Amino acid sequence: MREAYIVTSVRTPGCKMGKGAFKDTRPEDLLTFILNTAIEKTPNLSKKDVDDIMVGCCFPEAEQGLNIGRIVGQMAGFPVEVPGATINRFCSSGLEAICQAALRVMAGWAEITIGGGVESMSMVPMGGNMPRPHPEYTRTHPELYIAMGVTAENVAKKYEIPRQAQDEFAFHSHMKAAEARRKNLFTELIPTPAVRYVLSDNDTYKKETFIQDFDDGIREETSLDALAKLKSAFSVKGTVTAGNSSQTTDGAAASVIVSETKVKELDLKPIAKLKSYALVGCRPEEMGVGPKYAIPKLLKLAGLGISDIGVFEINEAFASQALYCVKALDIDIKKVNIHGGAIALGHPLGCTGAKLCSTLLANMIQTGSKYGIESMCIGGGMGAAALFELCE
Amino acid sequence: MVRKIRKTAVIGAGVMGGGIAAHLASAGIKTLLLDIVPLDLDEKKKNDHGERNKLVSSGFEAVLKSRPPLLMDRNDAELITLGNLEDDFEKLAECDWIVEVVIERLGVKQDLFRRIEKVRKSDAIISTNTSGLTLRDLSGGLSKEFKQYFLGTHFFNPVRYMRLLEIISGEETLPEVIEFVCDFGERILGKGIVLAKDTPNFIGNRIGVQQIIMAMQLMHEKGLSVSEVDSLFGPVLGRPKTALFKTCDLVGLDTLAHVATNTYELVKNDEQKDTFKLPVFINKMIEKKLLGNKTGAGFYRSEWIEGQRVSKVIDLNNFKYQKVRETQFECLTKAGNADTLPEKIKAVVYGKDKGARFAWRVVATSLIYAASRIPEIADSIVEIDNAMKWGYNFQLGPFETWDAIGVEKSVNKMEQEGFSVPDKVHKMLQDGSRSFYKTENGKILFYDFDTNNYKEQKVSESIISIAALKAMDKTVKTCKSASLVDLGDNVFCCEFHTKMNAINKEIVDFLEESLDFTDKNGAGLVIGNQTAISPGAFSAGGDLRLMGDMARQKNFDDIEQFIKNAQGVMQKSRYAAFPVVAAPYGLTLGGGCEICLGAADKMVAHAELYMGLVEIGVGLLPAGGGCLNLWKKFIRHVPEPVQGLDFAKFFAPVFRNIAMAKVSSSAVHARSLGFLGPEDRIVFNIDYLIGEAKKEVLRMVDAGYSPPVKRALKVFGDAAQGVIHMELNNMLAAGYISEYDEFLAKRIGYVISGGEMRVDGEIDEEIILKLEREAFVDFWKEPKTQARVEHMLKTGKPLRN
Repeated sequence: MREAYIVTSVRTPGCKMGKGAFKDTRPEDLLTFILNTAIEKTPNLSKKDVDDIMVGCCFPEAEQGLNIGRIVGQMAGFPVEVPGATINRFCSSGLEAICQAALRVMAGWAEITIGGGVESMSMVPMGGNMPRPHPEYTRTHPELYIAMGVTAENVAKKYEIPRQAQDEFAFHSHMKAAEARRKNLFTELIPTPAVRYVLSDNDTYKKETFIQDFDDGIREETSLDALAKLKSAFSVKGTVTAGNSSQTTDGAAASVIVSETKVKELDLKPIAKLKSYALVGCRPEEMGVGPKYAIPKLLKLAGLGISDIGVFEINEAFASQALYCVKALDIDIKKVNIHGGAIALGHPLGCTGAKLCSTLLANMIQTGSKYGIESMCIGGGMGAAALFELCE
Repeated sequence: MVRKIRKTAVIGAGVMGGGIAAHLASAGIKTLLLDIVPLDLDEKKKNDHGERNKLVSSGFEAVLKSRPPLLMDRNDAELITLGNLEDDFEKLAECDWIVEVVIERLGVKQDLFRRIEKVRKSDAIISTNTSGLTLRDLSGGLSKEFKQYFLGTHFFNPVRYMRLLEIISGEETLPEVIEFVCDFGERILGKGIVLAKDTPNFIGNRIGVQQIIMAMQLMHEKGLSVSEVDSLFGPVLGRPKTALFKTCDLVGLDTLAHVATNTYELVKNDEQKDTFKLPVFINKMIEKKLLGNKTGAGFYRSEWIEGQRVSKVIDLNNFKYQKVRETQFECLTKAGNADTLPEKIKAVVYGKDKGARFAWRVVATSLIYAASRIPEIADSIVEIDNAMKWGYNFQLGPFETWDAIGVEKSVNKMEQEGFSVPDKVHKMLQDGSRSFYKTENGKILFYDFDTNNYKEQKVSESIISIAALKAMDKTVKTCKSASLVDLGDNVFCCEFHTKMNAINKEIVDFLEESLDFTDKNGAGLVIGNQTAISPGAFSAGGDLRLMGDMARQKNFDDIEQFIKNAQGVMQKSRYAAFPVVAAPYGLTLGGGCEICLGAADKMVAHAELYMGLVEIGVGLLPAGGGCLNLWKKFIRHVPEPVQGLDFAKFFAPVFRNIAMAKVSSSAVHARSLGFLGPEDRIVFNIDYLIGEAKKEVLRMVDAGYSPPVKRALKVFGDAAQGVIHMELNNMLAAGYISEYDEFLAKRIGYVISGGEMRVDGEIDEEIILKLEREAFVDFWKEPKTQARVEHMLKTGKPLRN
């Protein structure tokens, strides 16, 4: 197989659902902006050269429905000949889109593809607008549709992840993110136009555009005490709280994937190669353990060991599951989510896989790590993991 | 001119002021709440808006946090604007009514009124909520114009829940102002109005506190304990469960002492003046900060012992708390066996034991005191009785109590024991009048000391008393559990009168007879009843004992027949050729709620409405049409062209109301839960309820009533099952519900969604009734349901199994 090179990988800020900067910004607009930015940041690339746009989305309906992959290609000014698709694998949708896009290049079926992700949790609620689980199947297997918070409790209970450890993990996520923001280390983050409705001089509301240039969920002022005071959010006597869970967030991200031929032809400087991608299923009621199985499967495919990996981006759906996976795989915690994770930066569902890719690549460059792994757990009981290799 | 209250102001954001402002807001009136700028602000804080409003803000916060809530609907908090007496004083110029509730200091209040005089609208009403100062002193030196619009409006705490509003006219107050405030207070604020005179502590607190302090003095003398006194002065005498000392704990000993001392100093010519002298133990308790609920300990204190809350009572000899022991007075046993309240009271006051002798002394002294205060504090016995019923939650006022124990018999006993009975009472008996109240030609008359004759009790035209109508032989039909009463104008009222107005077989049958009767003879029907107890119960639900017995004997066919019959009557009522209006108030649960939802075209509900379908608590579901009719209530108003709706959005709240046994905390809340719809009305004064329901019937008749047409009903269908299974699994896993709750809730969801039917399908509504019945009988067969029912009957509390 051919190699697939990621030449550009960018993201919007992650902003809090319902009250954050993107609450009134349509997901198509976030995605349009980030696609155009990816193109602009890739020298010598013109839109007509793109073979396909694949967009991950967790709940592809309403504002982000109607095949947003195709819609946004057109909104962003790609010629009609450039197709687009929406990819869904719940929380790994963004990564899935990048990997499928890359695979097309690797197979020789395409030269240049874009993989990305988008989610406006403000506009489309988790679970979608109209969930309709199967009436008979749920009688015997309701856990296939289990609430994510309950799975986090299950993991905490079964694998004995105490409240204090979860809160500490959450605290560090905020502190790392706050420091990274202070030091401008989020080099993959692109200041993004956002919309708000303001009362204008003539007493009617008007749309106003402003630029959002930071992740607005980071709580620099939080403390272990403050986190310890929160009530359990998903269970009567639970340990999982709003503070040690990921934030619900809006955002978009995109990566440009190019074949070796085109890298040379367009004189591009690739960041990294996508080496391999592994998926695995697990029990739905403890879906958070997914990375624990996906990462070893990935390493086996690549013939590498845990110690070969310089940096990890493991999605912090919940502190309980993220911490459990890190411990169970004996990963050096200093290599994990070095600039904070979803507890501080947010988990915009279908965007997350694409967003973490851009963050991981930026962190690989900063740390000079040859190998980096991105991994996450997935609702319904799955784990995904992808291996990237830094280009010299 | 038609006087309007567009905006009110309440000055003073303490407990009373906050309570008054909240109640005004609940009644939909814009209210400006003001308090002083804190006195201790430093230079920097002096210019800070927030700091300047600190006192009023914290008073307002206390309103929002109050439990039970002072506001009927939190959204109404928007109607209250906050301010301080320096920056916002000019805003008083916009107010039509200004209520003063500041600290009880003459000088402070006088200064405030002088300032108000300068800014007030020329016709703005100014009232004081003072309890101890006289209007004469307060308005001294103010202009005649001010005095014409100045009066006393004495609310009771907590304002939302205590009905009494004493209205006190000053010497120069315009009669039209008094009349207006009486009507406004009664109709808009729902209060029970008592006209009081400008005497210390007016009526309620004068009579009430005299009795409390006198009883305290006497108990010391007679060697009774706190809990012994409370066992005598509670429900057995028709008084609230808080009896005497728990009431003191609620009010606060400091407040009580303040009122008593204030009265003692002001009532120079009161022959019982010394009965306001505080016993030594009260002062000691105040020193020790044992002020009652506000300091966590008073006469009683709650302690947590091994995770259980234990109530302990004070020993006044050493101020230590000990466990409450059952008191053993013979008179209480006797009263316990008595059926009616008058018999219970007689058993106590005419008993022979130590407790009975004490109770007699207190009651007799208090009755004599009340009679001696006319005309000093009130024109007639009616004001005193009403003040005690509405301000102290007594079921019977002093003179009604006197009638209950027999005026002649008790006066003889008083005489023998050396009590000095007022001449006016002797005169009444000598003239051959044997009671303070009597009914004649169906009218309730009271004995007027002024004319030595009976007079008719005047009430607002909007008030219909079912009891009075029954006394006028307006009962058309009756049985042990219910009666049909002629309200006039061809409107009839089906009244329940079982314990807590629980629905039994007899009521169901009687309702059907009432429908037949009205169909033949009437224009429309009201389903409603009245009570003297606050908040009371329109109906606390179905009679569980009846069905429990059937279930124990495995007579499931009888249960099915009973419920089928009940459904049939509901449907018959709903589709009758005449309008039916239900008038719920207070507890309206289970079957009571189903009647309102299912049998009536609309509801005229009292503002204090605790409505819900709580059957799941006893392992059942609403099967008298409750599932069907709540669903219909939710989707009834969707216009026909609206297609492709997501019924899940309608289904979820209906399901939650029933499966989580949601109960409203007010009528407005019932509306936001969806139990009340746009067609239903809310009435603030409970005495107006039947009258307003009757008016509603007549309006519908006038408008040309035609019954609803039974059409196919849209349901969510089996898509609901998937949603329910998913949600219940989450709740079970999280520990919010038990496995049996899950079992019950699944079936309830099945019923509401129309069973096995395609999503958004249309069915005959009788199908849901059939599903209700089947589930109901199946539930009764479950041992866990039977255990829940048994536990409820035994303890009055739900069992979670």
